[in-house]
Amino acid sequence: MAELLSAEEIIELKGQIAAVHEPRELIIEVLQAVQKSHGWVPDAGVKLAAELLGLSPLQVDEVATFYDKIYRSPVGRKVIHVCDSICCWTRGTELVYRHLQQVLGIVPGETTSDGCFTLLPTCCLGACDKSPAMRIGDRLYGELTVERVNTILADERQETEA
Amino acid sequence: MPTLIIDNQSVTVPEGTNVLEAAQQLGIVVPHFCYHEALGAVGACRLCAMLFIDGPVKGMQMSCMVEAKDGMVVSTEAPEAVAYRGQVIEWLMLNHPHDCPVCDEGGECQLQDMTVASGHSVRRYTGKKRTYLNQDLGPFIHHEMNRCIQCYRCVRTYQDYCGGTDYGVLGSNQRLYFGRFQDGPLESPFAGNLIDLCPTGVLTNKPYRFTSRFWDLQEAPSVCPHCSLGCATIPGARFRELQRVRSGNNPEINGCFICDRGRFGYDYVNHSDRPRTPLLHGEEIPWNEALETLLQRLTKLIECHGSDSIALLGSGRASLEANYLLQRLSEQLGSAAPVYGSHAGRDRAARAATTLPTELSASLADVRNSDLILLTGADPLAEGPMLALAIRQAVRNGGRVMICDPRPVELPCSTEYLACQPQELLQLLSALSLGETLPTKLQPLVEALQLAQRPVLIGGGDLLGAEGTTALLAAAQKLNSEDRSCLAMVLLPEANSFGAALLAADGPDFEQLLADMASGRIKALVCLEADPLTDCPDRQQLLQGLEQLDFLAVFDHLPSLIAAKADLLLPTTALAEGAGTLINNEGRMQAFAPVFSPGQPLRITSQGNHPPRSFSTTTPGALPCQAWALLAKLCDLPVDLAKIRRELATQEPRLAGLPDLLAEGSGQRIQSADKPLSQPHALITEQVDALQLLACETLYGSEVLSAHSSPLDPVRPQPYLLLHELDADRLGIAAGDLVRLSAGEIQLTLPAQLSDRMAAGVVIVPHLRRTELESFYPGQPSQPCRVEKVSAL
Repeated sequence: MAELLSAEEIIELKGQIAAVHEPRELIIEVLQAVQKSHGWVPDAGVKLAAELLGLSPLQVDEVATFYDKIYRSPVGRKVIHVCDSICCWTRGTELVYRHLQQVLGIVPGETTSDGCFTLLPTCCLGACDKSPAMRIGDRLYGELTVERVNTILADERQETEA
Repeated sequence: MPTLIIDNQSVTVPEGTNVLEAAQQLGIVVPHFCYHEALGAVGACRLCAMLFIDGPVKGMQMSCMVEAKDGMVVSTEAPEAVAYRGQVIEWLMLNHPHDCPVCDEGGECQLQDMTVASGHSVRRYTGKKRTYLNQDLGPFIHHEMNRCIQCYRCVRTYQDYCGGTDYGVLGSNQRLYFGRFQDGPLESPFAGNLIDLCPTGVLTNKPYRFTSRFWDLQEAPSVCPHCSLGCATIPGARFRELQRVRSGNNPEINGCFICDRGRFGYDYVNHSDRPRTPLLHGEEIPWNEALETLLQRLTKLIECHGSDSIALLGSGRASLEANYLLQRLSEQLGSAAPVYGSHAGRDRAARAATTLPTELSASLADVRNSDLILLTGADPLAEGPMLALAIRQAVRNGGRVMICDPRPVELPCSTEYLACQPQELLQLLSALSLGETLPTKLQPLVEALQLAQRPVLIGGGDLLGAEGTTALLAAAQKLNSEDRSCLAMVLLPEANSFGAALLAADGPDFEQLLADMASGRIKALVCLEADPLTDCPDRQQLLQGLEQLDFLAVFDHLPSLIAAKADLLLPTTALAEGAGTLINNEGRMQAFAPVFSPGQPLRITSQGNHPPRSFSTTTPGALPCQAWALLAKLCDLPVDLAKIRRELATQEPRLAGLPDLLAEGSGQRIQSADKPLSQPHALITEQVDALQLLACETLYGSEVLSAHSSPLDPVRPQPYLLLHELDADRLGIAAGDLVRLSAGEIQLTLPAQLSDRMAAGVVIVPHLRRTELESFYPGQPSQPCRVEKVSAL
């Protein structure tokens, strides 16, 4: 399990955990740290987080499985979260979503064969003013059109290959 | 006390009652799932909608979330409310499979009832249903997630009420999954409550799986015999077999919950080796001959050797009535009063516990309501598991728990632990009772006791003994004042230990009996549901004494060691097969009703095949009789339980309420003794150097009845020995090492477990029946021992 987090990261997290009133507050932070270094959170990552937080693996997994930005199964190098909520529906997200599936050749939940992208629907991204919206990694993209999606995908792909 | 109108009926309810509860008081059935009397309301299932027509709240509301107020006018039958509930149930049923015919919950399924009550009878949804993989949740609970309606009751029961951390809810919205992180047995010893609490067939009873339909079971209100707390249970039997136990509801004791020992310990009743025919020297004889033989042999021995040649032995397993009639028998024979209990130390501790004035005795309801619980020498999970759950509720309400114990007492809640040597416990309690100052390490305790408004002192009879028990009661009395009450509770070994001790009064104990047997004065011993061979710590002397007997008669329903040696064996009924009364550890009399008639289970007689097609007018294995009825015949009294209870109530004024006792209801406290509590002495104990061996009760494997129950086989622990890490370090022992334990003449090799949460200098072994550890008895002073390492893990 040690390879999931470095010794320094573990010390850093332990310090943060010791400083809060209730360790549960930091479940997400610890899981995100695991995800950052490992790409996703395997069962061993949940157990490691539980050990650090003094909780049971189930108590950690309850939180981990609640959030769709914590990945409990392997994902591609970049995860595309397409907003699946009311404002985006009214502004044509269906077209964007269908187009993404076509150009990537995958259905939601799948990863491209080159391991570059995973496509997921997500609940509101909070970008209703720029709908339809999607998120790739930490980048938010709004006012999406089929053309814009093509450019974004090309840029993002280039970045991963660089 | 607000008064409101529901469906044109007026009802007045206590402050804080919700409208759903108020409707229930009127007998109005409103569908609901997430509300449960023990778990409260969360307004999650949206099913208890009512139309609020007038008053402080108006419109459609979830009645479980609205507190009843004056002037409310509410309708459960308004067309809008009926339509709303109909839609909610239809939507809850969307994914529910049509598998009622193969579902164990069928017939006692709240979802079935609520679906019918909401008028949903035709399924319009034709789409795909979401499906799940189930988990293996261990030997007690079967998982069938497809049936889930996401009411969250299981999580609220398991995590909130019972304090389990390994079962919960995963995922979100339409992908919720109720289960564990990985397959594996549920860790909480209260997991079985999920069976009762799940309103549909997701979590069902695994040992009982596909055994019977609810409506085919014979059920009756009963009392759990697996510890001294006396939780209300409802055993269910079919085909001459006790098939399951579910929780009853006694608000004073267990509320709606029971522990897994109580739920799965029932199978001793169906034991294939259980005595079922009267046997004289191994030969079957009819009942009338058996009883005549017993009387003849006893009378003859009295003629030859005098009335003190007969000894009668009652027990905390036998009912109050049977134990009382044993006393009547001794009077009739002119012999000495019966001895109650085969373990003199435990008997003396129980007798000390009976001196507590009723008003100072704590029920489990009092424990739940307490703000400071002080445990001295009590291990709730082992000695009375539901007490642990009651303590958790006190902590959930803001209460504090302090544990003084040599053992690593674990509870499903946060506690403050002070490791104490066994002798320190006595010093602590006697200092509290005499108002003396406590040692510095116990100062936090003194401060907590001063601040507490509703403290409860809890002790275990095994560790405290008679002296410590007396000190505990005296301490409670000392700390009790007009301003604030301080209550006490003592955990005893058996379901009717209190009742037996009450009858024992100042009569002889088993040590005196052993001495009399050894001297050869006793020629005949009659055991009533007692097995000295497994309970008497001095087995050597007992065996010698038994050798000298001319006649041994045993009344029992267990295939006990003493039953195997009996000259005359008189098979009795198990608790669920008869009626009677038990007195729990707080002095509460509780009557139990017969659930079914004894008989060889069909599972045994048909050996798994179709029941035999031969017909006869007798039932195989139906001969066991209720012990009290047999004793009544021996005493030439009418076989009438009501008469016996009336007589007993006149004989013993503390049992005045006995004749009015009903099997349903929360039981009745006995009256206080009229003599004052005895005062403990100041204690001086010397320091000991050697390691001290302490045998202790454990959750599974110590209690005698459940030790004969096969559903508990998978959870009974293997023998082990527990050491403090410091002692282990000194002896070069690591966790898992094999060590040799030498105590007295006994030498055993056991795997070592280590803990830093226990008293140093103490070695703990669990009292595990039918293992090599059964010769170490709880309820004894600790004995010096040696521990050496044999080999590493």
